[in-house]
Amino acid sequence: MFEPSNLLLAVPALPLLGALLCVAFGSVKELRKWAHVPAVLCAALSCAAALTVVSNIGEADVHFPQDRTGEPISWFSVATATTKLSADFGLEADQLSGIMLIGITFIGTWIVVFSIGYMHGSPGYPRFFAAVSLFLASMTLLVLADNFLLMFAGWEGVGLCSYLLVGYWHDKPSAAAAARKAFLVTRLGDVGLLLGSFLLWQMAGRNSFNYQFIFEKAAEMVNAHPYLFPAACLLVFSGAVGKSAQFPLYVWLPDAMEGPTPVSALIHAATMVTAGVYLLARCAALFTLCPAVQATVAVIGAFTAILAAYIALTQNDLKRVLAYSTVSQLGFMFLALGCAGPVVPSFAVTAAVFHLFTHAFFKAVLFLSAGSVMHAMHDEIDMRLFSGLRKKLPVTHLAFLCGAAALAGLPLLSGFWSKDMILESALEAGESKRFGTLYYLLFGVAITTAAMTAFYTFRAYFRTFWGPLKMPEGAHPHETWVMNIPLLVLAIGALAVGIVAEPFTHWFSHFLGHAKTLVQADAGRVAEHHLNWPLMIGSGAVALLGIGVAWAMYAGNSQSADNLAKNLKTPYYASLNKLYVDEIYNVLIVQPFLMIAGFCKLCEAIVYDLVRLVAMVPRFLADLIRPLQNGLVQFYALSMAMGLAAIVGYLVLVAK
Amino acid sequence: MLTSDLIRTLLPGLLLLPIAAGVALRFLDGQKARMAALSFAIAQLLLTIVIVAGGMFEVQDTAGLEALTNIREKRSGPVFAPRCVPGDPMTNGKQTFTTKFDVMPFSSGHPKIKAAQFFIGIDGLNIWLIGLAGVMLLPVVLLSWDTVTDRLGAYYSWLFLLQAGVTGAFLSFDLLFFYVCFELTLVPLLFLIGGWGPGPNRRDAARKLFLYTLAGGLMTLVGLAGTVLYVYDRTGELTFSIPKLAELIDVNMKRADEAGQASWQNAQMYLFLAMAFGFMVKIPLVPFHSWLPGAYSEAPPGVTVMLSALLAKMGTFGLLRICLPLAPDATLSVGMPLLGFLGAFGIVYGAMCAYMQTDFRRLVAYSSISHLGFCALAIVSFNSFGISGSVLHMVNHGLSTGAMFVLVGMLTRRYASSQIADFSGIWLKLPMLTFFMIFIALATVGLPGLNNFVSEVLMMGGLIDMRNTKVTGIVFAAVAGFGIFLSAWYTLTMIRTAFFGPLKEPQAAVGEVKDLTGRERFAIGPLALLCLLLGVMAQPVLDVMKRDSDRLAQVADDARLRVK
Repeated sequence: MFEPSNLLLAVPALPLLGALLCVAFGSVKELRKWAHVPAVLCAALSCAAALTVVSNIGEADVHFPQDRTGEPISWFSVATATTKLSADFGLEADQLSGIMLIGITFIGTWIVVFSIGYMHGSPGYPRFFAAVSLFLASMTLLVLADNFLLMFAGWEGVGLCSYLLVGYWHDKPSAAAAARKAFLVTRLGDVGLLLGSFLLWQMAGRNSFNYQFIFEKAAEMVNAHPYLFPAACLLVFSGAVGKSAQFPLYVWLPDAMEGPTPVSALIHAATMVTAGVYLLARCAALFTLCPAVQATVAVIGAFTAILAAYIALTQNDLKRVLAYSTVSQLGFMFLALGCAGPVVPSFAVTAAVFHLFTHAFFKAVLFLSAGSVMHAMHDEIDMRLFSGLRKKLPVTHLAFLCGAAALAGLPLLSGFWSKDMILESALEAGESKRFGTLYYLLFGVAITTAAMTAFYTFRAYFRTFWGPLKMPEGAHPHETWVMNIPLLVLAIGALAVGIVAEPFTHWFSHFLGHAKTLVQADAGRVAEHHLNWPLMIGSGAVALLGIGVAWAMYAGNSQSADNLAKNLKTPYYASLNKLYVDEIYNVLIVQPFLMIAGFCKLCEAIVYDLVRLVAMVPRFLADLIRPLQNGLVQFYALSMAMGLAAIVGYLVLVAK
Repeated sequence: MLTSDLIRTLLPGLLLLPIAAGVALRFLDGQKARMAALSFAIAQLLLTIVIVAGGMFEVQDTAGLEALTNIREKRSGPVFAPRCVPGDPMTNGKQTFTTKFDVMPFSSGHPKIKAAQFFIGIDGLNIWLIGLAGVMLLPVVLLSWDTVTDRLGAYYSWLFLLQAGVTGAFLSFDLLFFYVCFELTLVPLLFLIGGWGPGPNRRDAARKLFLYTLAGGLMTLVGLAGTVLYVYDRTGELTFSIPKLAELIDVNMKRADEAGQASWQNAQMYLFLAMAFGFMVKIPLVPFHSWLPGAYSEAPPGVTVMLSALLAKMGTFGLLRICLPLAPDATLSVGMPLLGFLGAFGIVYGAMCAYMQTDFRRLVAYSSISHLGFCALAIVSFNSFGISGSVLHMVNHGLSTGAMFVLVGMLTRRYASSQIADFSGIWLKLPMLTFFMIFIALATVGLPGLNNFVSEVLMMGGLIDMRNTKVTGIVFAAVAGFGIFLSAWYTLTMIRTAFFGPLKEPQAAVGEVKDLTGRERFAIGPLALLCLLLGVMAQPVLDVMKRDSDRLAQVADDARLRVK
């Protein structure tokens, strides 16, 4: 019963059960306010199961079903003599999914606990917990699936849950719009992912969607299909771009703030956006074979990082600052992923996944403390309306400070170590022959972004918690233990998880480096682990610089910041208005689409009238002939006589 | 064997019961007619369940077919093997997959001149469509309960006759019988739409539907007759039996020399175009679709459900049952490029039009065009994945689009408007209807775990695996994938406008607006449940159709060798 393979099944099954129980609780009036109980219990149990599974990974990969030689459990499958299209229900936990599982279930559980306090008394309470449980179930399924199709099921399940949760306050028009946007924008990428998976299936001989099966054929495929294979990789990447909010499909993520704050924490930290990074890490064995694709990944990552950081500089909405910082940090991860190839893949991918892991902790704590602020400030999140809250919300303040310092990359905190690995990857990739200069450039972009990150994070921190005490009307600052405990637990994680896991022991990279896909991608190359002191000092200095500037500008009054904004009007407004990206998309994509749709509608009208016209032809012809049949006998007689005369005349005169 | 005999005996009941119901309901009216219709629908459902449940095992039992395997021709049994045929002459207690029920003999005892027969049976391709037909009737009756109020007896009578026609077309293995059923559905439809449609344009819509599909159907008749006569000319056998014709074409195409093949392929091309024309109108494929928006939006809600869930499937099913096996070479050389293009074009065009619609029913109508374009595209990909995917998609589309129309019917019954823009925030007012609407919408956009995803993935596999030198399946697959995205686009936009946001409702049609009644829950609940069930456990459904779809794909593989 408690075999690792059964526990593996329990990891996604328990949250699913939790979701069903939440629905059941919701249908009984007396139980509605207890709907969080199954959600919390199932999430915690799932976390326990996940930890047990991960502790077993070292010896051998854990599978479900345990016996891999037997018939797989088929979701649906059609087979012919030589080909097979089958979606199998097979789970597999290797080192990579193990790391993901810890992040998802551990942080997820604390977010659910936090939600008990945050969502207290809101309408649709059971609906919230049902959707969150389903979210965890889909996400764990996504990382545990051993084939593309089952992974896609989890992938879409995550999209569905984000739709339901972002649109949780369904009567709010902005929430309704954001929910639709989140679903549609990510779906555009998802279609690419599905097509990409099918192309891989076809190139690998139309037999299986299994990761291992496809990866083993990677070298053959790239030789046989020098253009189609990179195209398939790019399509898979487009799925990751959608889900992980990279340029050009990042626009849904900042709007997703419309959901309840714990949902933002869930989407930004533990689930959803991490899916794309996971996917690329999983497919490292494929991507490292296409240097051009990898360069694209790195460029998109770095560009997204600096773009989002630039927008975050001036946002007034606390949650939006955090949202753009997520986009930016994800960009960092993609930059690292894109370095795999020029750099030993296991090093670069570890850097990305490590940053993902530490980021999950500090972003969760940041969002939850932002939620705590919002809860206290009567659902107000505009930083212009409050300040100096550190005395009123001491625990929140402490937690936010931990998260902010980690995000800024303050030396020795977790964000510092992981960011450092990414910078090192980019620097090392610069030494490669192909695209070398490009990677140096990207390193420059990354280090600039790191400074901006430190600045905007602490700008938000100082504006919220320092300065004179100011609160919107109706605010009643308070903290409850059910919200404080998760904050503190995650804050400790944000501080410590980095230094414990990697820099001196290299436990994390050794563990992850044994994942099969990375071993294959490495192709015998060995990653060197050393502490790059100049880089570490440099990046630490950059972080301190950013924090210092933020302190100078915002710790007291923000007069100097206002002056700066006045002097730099164009860049300031460009950043404040999010570089007008939504407007540009509207003109470039949405409007042409609507025009095409309008044209189709016009065609419909034309076809409708054409059909009418064709239908009128018989009537028109009839109208021509109908007068002949006028019922006058004399007329008939006359025409008979004339006809006869004509025929006789013809016979006599012409046809001799 | 016992089940086989039982089903053989019950099978004509699927046709006789609705016909009897149609006659009986004529003489009833008011509440009595409703109750009688409900009873008949339940009886039909039970009968269907028995036949499908038993038939599942009969169809999978291929023991009798192996005896017919021809080693020399490397063929694993006949192309079509109708099981449980009423009137099977039976040799040594075994099925012969033929019938002795002659209806219209063409000669007295000449062994090679066969009669048109009452030839029905079940196989892997039609069994699920029969199931679909049985399942959909009940929600249609329940939906009609309060959306139709006058001349109830006549209404239900026509409805059941329509059901008989559709079921007949699905069950038929005789060309003439198929054609008769195919066309006879038009008569009930004409009266149902013209007589009970809610809008002022109903007469016009009914006439348009009638003329359009009749014209298409006549072309099909020409094609069917041409095929029968051509086969007669080449082989000396005159038969209307679809299995026999498929058999003759399969064997003789293989045996013919190169010149013979070429001339046959040439004939097939014209015959294919003629036969496919009626089906293209029925499905409908763009540009033969202009009867559809009118008919769907002018018909009474129950009839719209029938139209979208069942009648459209006669077109796709006709392609599968008739065009593919009777003109395999032409399907590859002409059908794939032509129908493929029209299907792919229709996917995008239908989706674009759907987005622009301001009326609920027209939106779903256009979305139906888009989805069925995908289905037709997968059929002409003519391989195992495409065929099984499209058969499954016919069922899935019937369930989900049927359910969508049921919900739209329920919504428009409550309000005096069906304009999307008149609604907002209906979630606040009708939470249960909204729940089902979102659920069904997610099914139609292909969310994994719900039914359409499974069939869409299979069809996508069929397109990628097209193996036809003239066409690149990848482009078709990309268009189809884009279509999946577009379906989410227009569906979720509609949901956001009407169901999310602050509450705004148009004037109520009758009395106070309340959430779903018990009867309505009973109409929509089972459909939603089936959507979930087919999404999670599609494998049994696929296993049942495996033998027959594989055999049809084998016909295609043979033809691929011939078509250069």
